[in-house]
Parts: sequence; structure tokens; C-alpha cells
Amino acid sequence: MSLKLEDILKEKGVPISFQYGGTAPDEIVGREVKKDPHPRVKKLKNLFLQTLSSASCEFPYWYTRKFQETEGDLVIMRRAEALKSAFLHITPTIYPGELLVGGKTYHYRGSFPMPWMSESYYMAKEDELFQAALKSGSASAGEVSTFGTGGGNVTQSVGKVTSIAGKFGMRAEEVPALVKLAREWVGKSVDDLGHKYEQMVPEYQMKEQIMRSVICMFDSGYTLPQGREVINYYYPLQYGFDSLIEMCNECKDAVAGRAHGDGITGMDRLYFYEAAKTILEGVSGWIENYAKEAARLQQVAKTEVERKEYGDLVDILYHIAHKQPRTFREALQLTTFIHLAVINEDAISGMSPGRVGQILWPWFEQDMEAGRITEDEVVELLECHRVKFSLIDCFACAGVVGGVLAGNTFNNLALGGVTRDGKSAANRLEMLILEAGIRCDSTQPTLSVLYDDKLPEEFLLKAIECDKMGAGYPAWMNNRGGIEFMMKNYAKEGMDLTNARAFSIGGCLETSPGIWKELVLNDRKYWIPGGAGQPTSVGVHFIANPKVLELVLTNGFDHRTGEQVYPPHNKKLDTYEELWETFQEYYAMTCDCLTTTNNIQHDIWRKHNMAIFNSLLKPDCLDKGQHIGNMGYRFNATYNIESCGTINMVNSLAAMKKLVYDDKKYTFDEMKEALLNNFGFKTAAEVGSFSLGTQEKKDGIDKYDDIHSDCLRAPKYGNDDPYADEILRAYEEWFCEMCGDYESLYAKPLYPCQISVSTHGAQGAVTLASPDGRLAGTTYADGSMSAYPGTDRNGPYALFESATCWDHSQSQNSQMNMKIHPNAVIGVEGSKKLLDLTRAYMRKGGYHIQYNIVDSKMLIDAQKSPENYRELLVRVAGFTQYWCEIGKPIQDEVIARTEYEGV
Amino acid sequence: MCELRHDDCRNFIPVDVAKGICKLTNELVMIDTPVCPECSAIPKCKFCSNYAAGETPFLGECKASKKGFWTYEDLKAFQCEDFAAKKEYTEVK
Repeated sequence: MSLKLEDILKEKGVPISFQYGGTAPDEIVGREVKKDPHPRVKKLKNLFLQTLSSASCEFPYWYTRKFQETEGDLVIMRRAEALKSAFLHITPTIYPGELLVGGKTYHYRGSFPMPWMSESYYMAKEDELFQAALKSGSASAGEVSTFGTGGGNVTQSVGKVTSIAGKFGMRAEEVPALVKLAREWVGKSVDDLGHKYEQMVPEYQMKEQIMRSVICMFDSGYTLPQGREVINYYYPLQYGFDSLIEMCNECKDAVAGRAHGDGITGMDRLYFYEAAKTILEGVSGWIENYAKEAARLQQVAKTEVERKEYGDLVDILYHIAHKQPRTFREALQLTTFIHLAVINEDAISGMSPGRVGQILWPWFEQDMEAGRITEDEVVELLECHRVKFSLIDCFACAGVVGGVLAGNTFNNLALGGVTRDGKSAANRLEMLILEAGIRCDSTQPTLSVLYDDKLPEEFLLKAIECDKMGAGYPAWMNNRGGIEFMMKNYAKEGMDLTNARAFSIGGCLETSPGIWKELVLNDRKYWIPGGAGQPTSVGVHFIANPKVLELVLTNGFDHRTGEQVYPPHNKKLDTYEELWETFQEYYAMTCDCLTTTNNIQHDIWRKHNMAIFNSLLKPDCLDKGQHIGNMGYRFNATYNIESCGTINMVNSLAAMKKLVYDDKKYTFDEMKEALLNNFGFKTAAEVGSFSLGTQEKKDGIDKYDDIHSDCLRAPKYGNDDPYADEILRAYEEWFCEMCGDYESLYAKPLYPCQISVSTHGAQGAVTLASPDGRLAGTTYADGSMSAYPGTDRNGPYALFESATCWDHSQSQNSQMNMKIHPNAVIGVEGSKKLLDLTRAYMRKGGYHIQYNIVDSKMLIDAQKSPENYRELLVRVAGFTQYWCEIGKPIQDEVIARTEYEGV
Repeated sequence: MCELRHDDCRNFIPVDVAKGICKLTNELVMIDTPVCPECSAIPKCKFCSNYAAGETPFLGECKASKKGFWTYEDLKAFQCEDFAAKKEYTEVK
């Protein structure tokens, strides 16, 4: 039997320690905080846990049909009419006991493909899908019920259910319609058109090779062209649909035929207002269809209680289909519909509701004052809201759904922060949002606290209580850091301190611009925050930093694909400085070709698939009469360059510097040879495990043992060691600056975004062994500030010192995840310790920290017996996910993270 | 007259591609298990007099559309303004 690395190191007296600050007890320790949701919510949540991700063709069918019927009209109008038709044809489904209704489709956890965005996957799989559909026979109930092992994922075709991309199930009877729909969009989709024109970029060949090498994770123009942004519910909440439609008509009259000094886009305003009016009618009608369904259900209800509940729904839904909401429940219901409408309009992950507790405060306050609702009823509604959001699926291609999103949709709800005049913005409703998050632990909406020293202790401790429930939320973001980033990045577009305070988190932890709008309810005035910026899911998506370094060492040649990705640099790399400069050169080439090609994809998107509904929601599109593609939003400098694997890159540079250049213990060629031979180990794929300690040695190869040992012992980030930290500081100062060298299609500079989501698994899989001792195919360290598992040996405060050696406000974000044993933070004292720890990191200038408060042994047990852990939630990197719905590379990485036994 | 499935029935609340809730029993039922005598058809293209089956399995044509647009058997038609139930099916629109 092959030796595992952890055993080898143990024998040598240098064990990889995955625990710090003590030793965990032998038995599995559960989570300290555990509450149950209200009975009706428990039923709805249990139904969710039994539900498969289900795709259908209803929406794309009506979209495609209307788009074709309107051939010859302006693209924006064809799209508006197509969306309106699709919304009006959605079959409304209301589930027993629901207080909040609405869904993307008629399935409970439904979604649908958008072949107008990209149809190539279905065309490539046409035969396979057809055969699976035609061969399908009747499966027994037992067979179909076995789906549970992957949670809601339909990982394989069974009976009359066809698996698509290993995630979504589609009825076999609908598969021919899916293929037919895909055919209708060949040559017309954003993917196809973008591809046609991106090939005209001189650097296109390099871009293709970079994509094949998985140095970059995915194109953004046709995969997720929107998202990681903050929605704005203001206009429907303030005016209601009827008034908005009326406003569009008035605006049309005001601009029709008039350029008003803008000879390029002035005339476009008429078409935008007409398109906005059209889609508002569609969404209003869609809500009304739910009202009709509720009325039908009221007629056939068996009990008086049911009749009353359906009757209430009828009243609520008819009202919010047209008017400003009157109550907290109506406002929450309306925001739910608006949210679903936006994510039905486009392929979006990370459409975040923002600071909901502050947005809905006017209704909460007035309902409470009038005695119309109790806090317990509010919590029940908020629990329903959690179930509704957890049901959201994003239908995108396999690589994006599995490799990046891990099935998550990142609807981030932010709490805390400060008001427009700088006071604590936390309120009682936010306490109830936290309570609902504790009682109804689920993936969505994930919660984030905008930490500010002004926030009251009671609120902060409530957030800590929620963390101790173990689902990984709320995450903690630095409010001051976020405001500084807003001012740095958006001042040129008019951002001031007041509106900088309205920022929120879009997606995992993407700092996103917002503004305050004055809302009037029953003659009382309130200032509510909401998103006012473009998506931040756009730009250059996830550059694998260790992979770029690998190609520096191999003269631009990828040994995995056998391709020359970058032009050979043909340098001897005799000095560390030369190595670092070459890394910068290759990195710059990467950013350049990915920016230009993605700009073309997004340009096609804005011309052919522009957001209309999302646009009209966000300031200042309605004021300007321009959609997102014409820069209708207040803030447009949102394109970014995302990195992955920062810490493995830093540790690798530290090892190269120490072993090759400073101490000269090994030559460059000796290091390279050891890396190409994976230090004498099998690959992670061969072993079937993706964490470092479990890798297996090849029999009889000992020649790389010494160099591997030295690489593992070389200075590592996370220990307050200036040797490694100085490399991180130099990298960050360069990276944060260089992103601005590239320009988006909106003629705005790019900026850095430093999160990993799940890409550290996929990109680790394609990376050879690295000089830090990491072995081929194993997962990178998560996030951007998390230590590589087992290498942070000096405790959390040393880790914080390392992490804050640079100015985090220069970047949209940074990301640190910590795993803490439940015993380490038990009781009131434990809560205070955890808050002190959090506060310490925030005060040092760290941007983000989040906790997995879980016993690693529970995760190991869950990996062996997933059927016993359907409800186990863990924090990955910016999001919470059900353990059984996460791929093995990420599971291995979460298990391997250093577990803190004391803080 | 085609054989009805659970997801063709008015008493069926669709949960996912494999199952739903039967409103008569409030229990989960698998779509592809035999239906009970209470099963009554919902509006779907395959139950519509404007639907003409095509050569490709599960696909057909909507005769109500001006341009003769294609459609598919299982498309729900609750919100379709042109749905007209075939005589042999009970339409509960």
C-alpha cells in the first residue's frame, strides 16, 4: 500500500498539523445553537430538502416564440415582448402552507435554460440528450428516490428524468423541445455572436490556450453576464407597477423624437421607456396570475383556515400587482417577486437583496405601531423568505454551475453598516432577520454584517449567536474598508461619502455601490439604500495565480495540455527579481487578452440581450431613459479581475526565493524537475482525494524527498513571518494597481476582486505541484487571505498580522475563512471571544472573515455517510452550501482547513 | 386518448421532475406511477384541439399560431389564450 504524505511527515517528526490551540475531543461535537423554524416553514423546508433541481422549457419556449414573431422590430422591443410573453405564460404554482408565493417556474426548485445566451452545450450534447430521452423507461418510485445522495442535484438520468450537466433534471418528454429551442438560436446567441467577433482580437489564440489551460475559469459575457450586484427594490416599493407604467408613458411623450443634445443615444430613450413599460406589464400580469391561482385554490379549499389564507393571498397579490404595498408582508412579497423577475430575465448568480432590514423598515415600523403584526409573525415570514430564496437555482453551463458556483446562487442580505449620516444602521428588524437565519438554517439568503464600531453590542452578539449555529453566516465585512473602496473606485462617477455609506454586498463578498432614495409611506419619509451599480460578476474571471507561476517556470508551456500557452520567455530566471518580473509579464498578457475578448462578448450582450427589468429598477436608468448597456446606471466602473490561489502563489514564491535564490540549496532546474515529477507522488486524480495530506507516494521514488521536505518547511504566509508576508505585500500593491491598466467596454478601469468561490478546486486540479510543496491536482487554499491548510501554526492573531500587511481597501474585497471547533466558542464567554476575534481583524483593516464552526470529524463522517447529513451546511468561500451538494475537491479542502481549538 | 400521468392531473401540484403533491391526499406522488380514477386533465398542448403531432417524438405544431409555430406535447397551457380542449378530455381551466 502506498504511503500517504501525512504519514511520511509524521515519521519524520514534522506532522502536518490541522489543529491549532489544543486537541479536539475524540467524539464528534455538534453545534451549540440549534432552533427550529415555525411548523409551516418546517414543512416547506422539508419539502425543499426532498426536491430535485428541475429544469423546464415553458419560459424559453414562449420567449423564443415571441422573439421570432416580432422579427423585424428593434432588438430591445423584441426582447421586451419576448420577456413579457414568457412571464405571462408561466404556470403559477402555490404550495400548501405558503405565506410567500412565487417561483422561477412551476417547479418548487425550478429553473430553465436560456439558449439565446448560449446554446452550444445542448447542441454538442444533442445526440446524447436525445438518446437519453428516447431510451427512458418507467423508473420505479424507489429508483427515482435514490437521487438524494447528491442533495437536490440530478447527477444522472433515471427513468423519465434526464440529467443535464449533472445538476438539473428535465422530463424526458421535454428534452426534444430543449434541443429544438437550442437549434433556433444557433448563430444568434450571445455565445455564438460573441465568439464570431472575439476571434478578431489579435490575441485570440492566446486567450483560447489560456482557457484550455484553465488559467482562466470562464468567459463572463454569455455565462453569467449579470450578478454579484445589489438589486434595487425602491421604484416598485415606492410607486407600484401601475404608476411606473404611467411614468413610462409620460417619459415616452417627453422624449419621442427628441435627442436633447445627445446625438448618439438620445433617441434610444423612447425605445427604452417602451420596453420598460412592456416588461412592467408582463411582471405585473405574472403576479396577477398568482392571484388568480390563489382565488381558484380558495374556491376548492377544504377548511376555513385554508380559505382564509388563500383569501389573504388573493388580496395581497392583486394589490401588489398594481400598487405600492401597504403592509410588511406585502412589501416582502413584492420584493420576492421583483427578485425572481430579475433572475428570470437573465442568467444571474449573486443577485443580492442588499440591506433588506433597512429597506423594509418603514412597513415593519408602521405595522408594529399599528398592531397589525407581531414579531413572531415577522420571523415566520422571514423564515418563509429564506425557503423561497433557497429554492433559487441558476441554470448555467456545467463548468460554471459545478466548478464555480457549487450550485449556489449567492443572494447576499447585508445587515448593519451606517446610515447616510453615519450612525449605526442596525435595527430591530435586522435582529429578527438574524433570528430567522438561526431558526431556518438554509443556503439563502446568506447573511453579511457590515461591521462598524458604531454597531450596538446586542446586535453584534446576536450575529455571533447566528454564527455559532454553524451554517457559516453571517460573514463579517469591514464597513469602513468598504466605504473607502467606494470612494476610491467610484468618486469619478460622482460617489460621495453619503452614498458610499449605502454600499452593500453583491454575491459572496463583492463590495457594490448603492445610493439612498427617499421613500414615502403614509406621509412619513425614510431613506432606504439600494444598488445603483452594474454587475461585478463581469470582467476577467478567476486567474489561477499558481498556474501562471507554473508556466513561468516551464517557459510558457503547459505540460498538462501539451500546449505552448504563452510565448517562451527564454530567460534563465537567475534571480528572484527576474522570476517576479516574468510572472508579472505573463500575468499582464493574460489580463489583456481576456479583457479584450470579454469586452466583445459583453458588447454583444448589451446589444442583443440587454437587461430591461433590472435596468429600470436601478438608478438612474429611469431618469436617463437608458438601459445598462447605454450606461444608464449611476456607477459603471464595476468590471474586475478576479484572482484565485493567491496564498499558494505567495508561498511558492517564498519557497523559490528561499531555496533557489537566497540559500541556493537547489538549482532552478532541480526545483523544476521535482515539480514536473510531482515530488515522486501520484496525482490527486489517481488517488481520488484532493487535500495535501492524503496524497500517496509512488513506490520506489525517493529522489525528491529532501526537496519536498524543504519546500514544505519553507516560509509560509499566515505566521507573521516577514519573509512570506513581504512577498504578499509586494504582490498586492502591484496587483491592485495593475488591474487599472485594463479598460472595460464602458471605458472604465478594472479593479481587483480577490475571492475564490469554488474555483480553487477546479483550478487546483489542473495545476502541477507547486514550489510550496503542494502536490499536483490538489486544491488551492480557499479565498485570498486564508492560510493554506495546516500551515498557519502560530495562531489566529499571527494569521491576522500576515493578512493585513497590505491595504485591503485598495481591492473590492479580500477573503479569509476560518474553521473553529464548536468547543472553542462555547457559551457566553465563547461568544464574546469570537466577537473579540472578529473585531480584532476588522480593526486591523481586514476586509472579510467568516467562520465554519464545526467539528472536522463531523465533515469526515458526512463524507462517508452523506445520507445521514442531508441538512449539514458548511461555509465554503463566500457562501454556505449543503455538504452533500458540494464536489469532493472542495469537501476535501474544507476538511483539511486548520481547525482552531481555541481563539 | 393518451394515458394520463400524475403531472397531467388537476389535483397534482408539481414539486420537481419526478414528483408532486396530490391535493386529494396531500401526499407526495411520483409522476410515473399509475393514476387514480379521479385524475382529470389540465390544459396542455397534447390535450388541445389546435395541437398537431409531428414526426419527432413529443413535438408538434400549434395550429392556432399565425405562423404555425412548433410546440411540444407537455407544454402547460393554463395561460395560453388559444387553448381549446379536445372533446375527450375534461378541461378544468
